Amino acid sequence: MSTSRLQEVLICFGKQKQTDIATANAAVQMWQLRKLNAALANPKLNTENDADEFGKGHEFPTQSFQTSWDAGSTIEKYLSAEIAAWAMAFSFGKVVKSGSTPNFTYTCTPLFPAAGDAAELPYFSFVEQIRPGAGIVLDRMAVGCAIEGWTISIGSGPGRANSKINIEFVGSGKLTEPSGIVVPAATLEKLLPSASLALAINGVNYVSNKNIVSLETSWKNNIVMDAGFFPGSGFQTPGDATSGAIRGRLEFGKRQGTLRFTARFENGSTELTKLKSQTTGAAVITLTYDANNSLQITWEKVSFATAEVGETDGIVTVAVECLPMYDSTNGIISAVAKCGVDSICQ
Amino acid sequence: MTDAITVWLVPPYGQGEPKEVEAKPAILVPLMVAGYSQCPPPHKKEEVKPDVDE
Repeated sequence: MSTSRLQEVLICFGKQKQTDIATANAAVQMWQLRKLNAALANPKLNTENDADEFGKGHEFPTQSFQTSWDAGSTIEKYLSAEIAAWAMAFSFGKVVKSGSTPNFTYTCTPLFPAAGDAAELPYFSFVEQIRPGAGIVLDRMAVGCAIEGWTISIGSGPGRANSKINIEFVGSGKLTEPSGIVVPAATLEKLLPSASLALAINGVNYVSNKNIVSLETSWKNNIVMDAGFFPGSGFQTPGDATSGAIRGRLEFGKRQGTLRFTARFENGSTELTKLKSQTTGAAVITLTYDANNSLQITWEKVSFATAEVGETDGIVTVAVECLPMYDSTNGIISAVAKCGVDSICQ
Repeated sequence: MTDAITVWLVPPYGQGEPKEVEAKPAILVPLMVAGYSQCPPPHKKEEVKPDVDE
């Protein structure tokens, strides 16, 4: 028997969105990207038993029932223009595509049901394979997945690891095994390195003053998982009530955004002053590969929630946690992602 | 000089006529937050030519 190394695992997922939560992406709508983490999207079958039921004469289970399915995982990657566009589009849900090859621009904002938008995020299918075909080790597809959240981390240093994205996704529980998908060739990605950062927060350009040390920003949809199981939400095997329930919707809950950064603190640094005065302003984070491949995230209005002076490698620094706030014109956050790949989230 | 890139947006709830706007974040983001969504360009109305024989 030959062993399988986890580096053999292939993942591909919907570059385009599914038509609805239950309809899987076709192979032509998918792309293969590589990832850094070992986590697999193991489907979880939840079961119940009859141990607590009366009338059996004892307290032990005699039957087990398949009740529901969960799915989900994380994708950890070096930040690239392609994955950035995908993550922004699928996590926020509202996308306007413009441009043409090789410069597609995806302008993304969160959905606002109060303005007539849906509460369901766009869905995608996620495929994992290890030696598909005759020597199959693993071949499965989670259908109806949505992005729960992402974290982008920018650090100091020369390596690729100083610009990363970690994406968490959850699924409806619907599973197709084998997937029936022929994984397409890997997409060549354009990395967005830390050294390309442009950063302006609350009126200060932290790159031109050479003070930025690290930055982390995140978005979380807090998807209401249990609300996906509603009367009639369906089963793993359609029409088979013993096969376990799956979700019929994935709606975001109370969404949250975070922005934290550490900068050198010196004479004239304004972080403590702005904390005391609760000054507000935009935070614009830009990472660029070239004119056609970039990511610009704008927190439309932030104030400083905390600012603590400390040290990093012996240098006096200030660690700031921002409070992203809703701006009446521009909302909470927007992202402009440019890359050469067409049809993302379309 | 190049032509500006434009997109078509439909008002919230799909009510109202689509409008063509320049694809710049400063223009798009407020409209998207206000509920506008991207839509395909409307079909141009065919020009009705009078019958020359009449």
